[in-house]
Amino acid sequence: MLLNKESSGSRWRVRPDGQDKVSGRLQYLTDMSAEGMLTGRVLRAQQAHARILSIDTTAALAAPGVHAVITHKDVPGLNGFGIALPHQPVFCSDRVRYTGDAIAAIAAESDAEAEYALSLIRVEYETLPLLEDAEEAMKPEAVLLHEEGNVLHHTEYRRGEPEPAFRECAHVVEETYFTPRQMHTYMETEGGLFIPEDNGRLTVYSATQHGLMDRRQLSRILALPEEDIRVVSSPIGGSFGGKDELNVQPYGALLALRTRKPVRLHNSRYESVRAGLKRHPMKITMKTGCDREGNLVAHKVRIISDTGAYATLGAEVLNFATEHVVGPYRIPHVEVEGFAVYTNNGVSGEFRGFGGNQAIFALEGQVDRLAERLGLDPWELRRRNLRQYGDPGPLGQPIAQTHGAVQVWEALKASALLRAPETAEVPETAAEDNGKRAEEKRPPWIVTGTGAALAMHGAGLGYGIPDPAGGRLVLALDGKIEAVFGYEEFGQGLIATMEQMLVEQFGFAADDLRIIIGDTDVVPDSGSSTASRSTSMMWMALQRLRPEFTAELLEKAASSAGEPAGNLQLGPGGVWRREGGLLISYTELARGLKEPLVCQTVFHYPTTPQPRVGAHFLYTYSAIAVRVELNLLTGRVRITDQYHVVAAGPVANPQGYLGQIEGGSSMAVGFTLSEDAVMAGGAYVTKNMDTYLVPTIIDMNGRIQVEAIEDLPEHDTYGPRGIGEIGSVHLAPAVAAAIFQAVRKRVNKLPVEPELLQETLFTTQKAVNSYAG
Amino acid sequence: MPDNYWLQETDETAGTGNPEAAYILNCTVNGEELSLEIPPGRRLLSILRDDLELTGTKRSCEIGRCGACMVLLDGRPVNSCLTMAYQCEDAEITTIEGLSAAELHPVQRAFLEEGGFQCGYCTPGMVISVVGMLQSNPQPSQSDIEEAMSGNICRCTGYGGILRAVHKAIESGVSP
Repeated sequence: MLLNKESSGSRWRVRPDGQDKVSGRLQYLTDMSAEGMLTGRVLRAQQAHARILSIDTTAALAAPGVHAVITHKDVPGLNGFGIALPHQPVFCSDRVRYTGDAIAAIAAESDAEAEYALSLIRVEYETLPLLEDAEEAMKPEAVLLHEEGNVLHHTEYRRGEPEPAFRECAHVVEETYFTPRQMHTYMETEGGLFIPEDNGRLTVYSATQHGLMDRRQLSRILALPEEDIRVVSSPIGGSFGGKDELNVQPYGALLALRTRKPVRLHNSRYESVRAGLKRHPMKITMKTGCDREGNLVAHKVRIISDTGAYATLGAEVLNFATEHVVGPYRIPHVEVEGFAVYTNNGVSGEFRGFGGNQAIFALEGQVDRLAERLGLDPWELRRRNLRQYGDPGPLGQPIAQTHGAVQVWEALKASALLRAPETAEVPETAAEDNGKRAEEKRPPWIVTGTGAALAMHGAGLGYGIPDPAGGRLVLALDGKIEAVFGYEEFGQGLIATMEQMLVEQFGFAADDLRIIIGDTDVVPDSGSSTASRSTSMMWMALQRLRPEFTAELLEKAASSAGEPAGNLQLGPGGVWRREGGLLISYTELARGLKEPLVCQTVFHYPTTPQPRVGAHFLYTYSAIAVRVELNLLTGRVRITDQYHVVAAGPVANPQGYLGQIEGGSSMAVGFTLSEDAVMAGGAYVTKNMDTYLVPTIIDMNGRIQVEAIEDLPEHDTYGPRGIGEIGSVHLAPAVAAAIFQAVRKRVNKLPVEPELLQETLFTTQKAVNSYAG
Repeated sequence: MPDNYWLQETDETAGTGNPEAAYILNCTVNGEELSLEIPPGRRLLSILRDDLELTGTKRSCEIGRCGACMVLLDGRPVNSCLTMAYQCEDAEITTIEGLSAAELHPVQRAFLEEGGFQCGYCTPGMVISVVGMLQSNPQPSQSDIEEAMSGNICRCTGYGGILRAVHKAIESGVSP
């Protein structure tokens, strides 16, 4: 089914958080203020790699309006953070490892005073050799960034005997792929409000993707019990993985506790660029071979991932890439080796796609190159090697079986773009203009091409990593049906999806509901809102809660109204007689309660039984075809048409689903064509959005169609699969294939450099050609 | 040298030469006449968010690239991060809060119904741009729309929902 408003009918709903968003009334956490609040600012390292000889804060402390200046000496607990490995210093004491490292923080009465005081802090450095390149950092003579060595994490996966198998191959292609340091560029930079409460507790209003994880990390840093910290973390102005790790929270919390006053921090864009996470730049070398019939035989991969100065989730991202370089293909002989390496560059961490984007760009590039060698249609080559129902996962692990890979392959094969790309061009967004555009004869320097790619993408955190799920349904004393979950709303539409599930599965009206998320004082541990997992986990939680919660409500209604529960059902506003008619409203039902009626469930994200850390069990499958227009004079690429097929089980929320695929694809357009947070000498050259180029409306004026395949095998109990990432992971190889079709040039480095595609001045070339002719 | 040099002039002191210098800005914000004693170089973004607590106008890039802080200045969309107090003299300023009182503005309703937003942080600026465009050009062509909205960055939606909302607003005949 093509997913859009029309095809969705009444399932296309207005988002419950929409009214406040379009009216500007929604208060983000960086919009908050409090009586008597101070402004917090952080001093970042002026060197990318140096020993700190001294830090002098005397003058700053004496500056007007300053209430506190704090450094590493003022951290009562662990001077470190990191979701997986808490070794990133809150404040550096003896050494800085990147220009985002924090040295001191200031709380002052105004921005201006904080800014001025910041300039008075004197730090003496002794520079150390800079490690700008991951492979340089791996050499034995390289200076060590961390005692345990410069390799944060090393992965290996092997099956069969690749070396001898290559010798039997009819065709072998070798290529090295490079991917950029992409920035999340959430529109709301990091920040929040930190309030020391009169009762000794601390309230943190600051965005994160897992409030309880922030609370745990802050508890370690502040040496405060977790119960004394309340983290309120939604709503959020975008995250895409980038706000999952701590950012300003330690500074706001420490300053608030020190001054006993509310403190607000809100990063400038440059500070966000400088200190914030990025997507891991990877260098992926692949050697892939097939036999004469086009059966993949052997595949050898080496991944070098620049994780920057500290760990955060660099190891987990590498695990993910290691799994996804094998992908949805049957290959008997495989050898993968990966290294996540510390450098003095910006810290890389979690980002939508989680290492899949890089891996899939390389893997799909190999398949296309082999197809060329074989003289075979690249889509046909994929068919010959595609995983089938019953096959193990990419690492040989048991996975939840679906027909997803074959379904998306077939659906894309049937799409107009793959059948007849030239005639498929019926742009819709642009009724009048584009109609004209298509009719106009293209100038000779504009050429077009079509390309396609396929991906399977894992969801959940994977084997061996705690991945709790669960939630609570409550009939509250005021008659509201409360859904309480530990998730975060950063725009993906999680609240809307929850509402839609409750309305469609239980029969409630939207007005009956109160959805509570993002507040550690009240929510259960539902795990992190990450890894395309929340929709699946909400769905599974409601499946578990529904029989019990429904029965409890019906029994209460039965006993208060004297009708057998068997004659009753849940409905909008209250409990209804099955033959019709409202029996008792939820408000009336709640009047008879002494305490709220509560049902809860606790479970774990489903995992593969095979003990390989990070290996996935649930996957989403997708295929994409794109059509591009390439300007030979400027070397610029425009994507005129995209067709996405996604097999992810039932569509829980059509508007959210479509928005995730469209939005994910826009992020992939940036990854492919324009985005790179360029570093030189350990500092960002691209400091703001004037030089860091995310797609604008003009870059996204082509058509995007999304076909959702909803069928799952009858025995499947896992419901909707995640779709938060899949739209962003396979556009790059499809565009590379389209470019190849247009100009016979292979792209192995992203973003695509216009220089690669620029031809000699067209007029000159024409003159040469006519002379030759 | 401390590397915070790029902000030697701050909002509180910018353009005055003397931070104590009195300047009275007279303007209208969302229909309300205001008289504010502030430095003439103070950014409109700070006046709105910090002085008037109108936080619907968002802070994001602060260099006029992203459009999150857009407001209407005498009906024309401007980046409030690049607009200084003295440039607002006698001007009529409309922020996102000023577009709707009891009911949503038709452009806001189109964004709501078409799903032209996700995180919502760019939405106020986006809506302001569309309102500004439709006031001067009620029947824009596709390239007019692209031109008018190229200064507003959305990182979530990929612009699909936004374009659908704009077309819906045009169809519904938004009156200036």
